[in-house]
Amino acid sequence: MREFAYRLHLVAASRDARVSLRYQPFAAPMLTIRDIRKSFGQTTAVGGLSLDIAAGEVFGLLGPNGAGKSTTIAITTGLLAPDSGSVDILGLGSPADPRVRMHLGLAPQDITLYGELTARENLMFFARLYGIASPRARVDELLAQVELDTRANDRVATFSGGMKRRLNLAAAIVHDPQLVLLDEPTAGVDPQSRNRILELVRTLAAAGKTIVYTTHYMEEAAKLCDRVGIVDHGRMLDVGSVSELIARHGGQSTVTVTRGDADQRVLTSDPVAEIAHQFAAGGVTGVRVERPDLESVFLSLTGRSLRE
Amino acid sequence: MRAVLALAHKDLRLLFRDKGDVFFTFVFPMLLAVFFGFVFGGSGGASKIDLALVVESDSKIAAGMAADLAADASFEVKRFDTRDAAIDAVRAGKSTAAVILPSTMQDGVEGLFSGGGIPIDAVVDPARRAEAGLIQGKLNELAFRQFPKMFADTAQMKRMIARARKSFAQSSDLTPMQKLEAGALFSAIEAFSSSMNAKQPDAKSDAKPDARPDARPDARPAAEPAASSQSTWSPIAVNIAELPARAGQPRSSWDVTFPQGFVWGLAGCVVAFASSVVSERTRGTLARLRLAPITGLQLMAGKGLACFAAALLVESLLVGLAVVGFRSSIAQPVMLVVACGASAFAFSGLAMLLAGLCRTEAEAHGAGRGAILILALVGGGSIPLFFMPPLLRTLSFGSPFRWVVAAVEGPFWRDTPLADQVTPLVVLMAIGLFGFIVGIRGIGRPFGR
Ligand SMILES: Nc1ncnc2c1ncn2[C@@H]1O[C@H](COP(=O)(O)OP(=O)(O)OP(=O)(O)O)[C@@H](O)[C@H]1O
Ligand SMILES: [Mg+2]
Repeated sequence: MREFAYRLHLVAASRDARVSLRYQPFAAPMLTIRDIRKSFGQTTAVGGLSLDIAAGEVFGLLGPNGAGKSTTIAITTGLLAPDSGSVDILGLGSPADPRVRMHLGLAPQDITLYGELTARENLMFFARLYGIASPRARVDELLAQVELDTRANDRVATFSGGMKRRLNLAAAIVHDPQLVLLDEPTAGVDPQSRNRILELVRTLAAAGKTIVYTTHYMEEAAKLCDRVGIVDHGRMLDVGSVSELIARHGGQSTVTVTRGDADQRVLTSDPVAEIAHQFAAGGVTGVRVERPDLESVFLSLTGRSLRE
Repeated sequence: MRAVLALAHKDLRLLFRDKGDVFFTFVFPMLLAVFFGFVFGGSGGASKIDLALVVESDSKIAAGMAADLAADASFEVKRFDTRDAAIDAVRAGKSTAAVILPSTMQDGVEGLFSGGGIPIDAVVDPARRAEAGLIQGKLNELAFRQFPKMFADTAQMKRMIARARKSFAQSSDLTPMQKLEAGALFSAIEAFSSSMNAKQPDAKSDAKPDARPDARPDARPAAEPAASSQSTWSPIAVNIAELPARAGQPRSSWDVTFPQGFVWGLAGCVVAFASSVVSERTRGTLARLRLAPITGLQLMAGKGLACFAAALLVESLLVGLAVVGFRSSIAQPVMLVVACGASAFAFSGLAMLLAGLCRTEAEAHGAGRGAILILALVGGGSIPLFFMPPLLRTLSFGSPFRWVVAAVEGPFWRDTPLADQVTPLVVLMAIGLFGFIVGIRGIGRPFGR
């Protein structure tokens, strides 16, 4: 359980309102995944997963280690062929087609860069590979965006984990794709790099890109994503906005009312009404609300904690 | 095409960033070629040079030189009676060079002050061309050492000066005043020579009649002179000639070791590029390449192009070193270029094949390098093919490196007829094609099924 001040809850509610304005379920589907399955020997990595993601949406895939997030991403990009099921991007067809792949960018979970090349050489190579018209300008722009312009001519092998992560992300969007798949883009980075990455994702979202973001940091999912899908054992357990999921699976909020030295804890599904009721009774010196979060959603959906 | 070039450019850049790869691909083959060249050549100053000596002249200077040559630490001298016998010894590889002190030597001595030179003939084994310079230098040095004795011989000195006086008197370029001065100079030299003789009681004045003009016209060296010291006047005229190369035999140890350098250079390329493909897979960058809107064929073309370029570069370096550094001449330059291209293609294909077979970097570096090493050894990388026992020579047909050696030797020094060069070229092209096709399948078609 995490604590939120009452005011923060109101802010969150208004954020949800903004989000639901932007998210239009009837918008053109960017990504359609139909019942994909993938097994490795005895291990079922993905066991029948379907998903519709609209253009411009920021979608979070939230799940513990081994849930099948990366496998889902690999199938989505065409890097891995599913045992069954289908993937369609922009209504253009499967990513097996190079013209379809042109619209997607992937930042893999592992850093996939050439350590012996400099940051600029890495990005220049990918820009040329994609046939970018003026690669140098594009690369300079990206380097500034991920705040690596001062280290542009250093070899990537000499970079910190956070710097590599940022460059890994920059390499994914060098060709300005419509659909950006970010597989745990903040894994193992310092807070400064994390903030820079989250900011960049917001910039991409504001520019109308569709983003699929896998993570097991529920704070990130809550902060960034319009909708979140909870995955475990290769299955999608539920999909919805953070508040929808919390409303469905989070259980009740705890309101702690302080009068003098005495604390009183009240379980309620409507903390606002409860607080109003308590204030009306008088003598209140403090109030604290503990709202259910994605962690409680996850706990209730799977019976275990997101990060054990 | 732009994507293919981008890939090749990136791979070459990565290759040059890896010091180990640069060493094994470019430096190591050249070191080996040079090292074994010296080992097989057997020169390098460590061992003596075998000389076949013929003394045709009975002059004092010839006797003095023969004695000094025999005493010299650089030479192992064997005397022969005739010029032909000495040249035969060189031809048979028993001697490095034949040195002939011709009967015209005495005549040369006497004409020394009137523009003549003391002739010395030498015939060198083309395989030992590197030593020709050393032999020439030594012969000059030893001949000069005879000069003090020569000047102490008053009778001979008189004849030398008489000749010089005569040629000066006949000269139309000189003013009467200059002729007078020259006459005074010659008188002074005569006086100096007499006084030297007076101080050396052991110097016998065994004046001989004039040298017999018995120079045989057929006594010239068998081949055209390759290098001669007569371009500017020098009192010693060492006339070095080279035997014509023997067909089917390398002209020099470099002819053997530079094609071997090709073997090691190409082996370095194969291992470097196979492991570069494998490390793209293990590091995950292959995923990015496969995501890019390029086909699997373009991907392989980019890799192959980089390997091809690196192979061509090491081949050019080796040929350049052989020509510039070791004065090797190329029998058929155009065909050598073709052979270089074909072998670079074959080994780019092999790099792809190896990349397809190896799943991990450890495999590429361990098993891959091991396999390539064995093939290189069997294919003549360390023991030249013609030194191999018959069984090994038969086995060598299974090594792609053998075909490289065959394809390169033909135009490099064997001067093989074109028709005979077709087989190795066709085999190399087939190896390349096979490697590319199987390699692409092994690396896996990137998408779908
Ligand atoms: N190439 C493979 N071979 C065998 N098993 C695999 C392979 N790839 C994934 N798996 C298995 O499939 C399951 C799902 O893996 P996946 O990488 O998709 O999980 P994830 O949700 O991305 O986990 P994480 O949060 O740790 O990245 C795991 O049990 C994993 O061991
Ligand atoms: Mg993963």
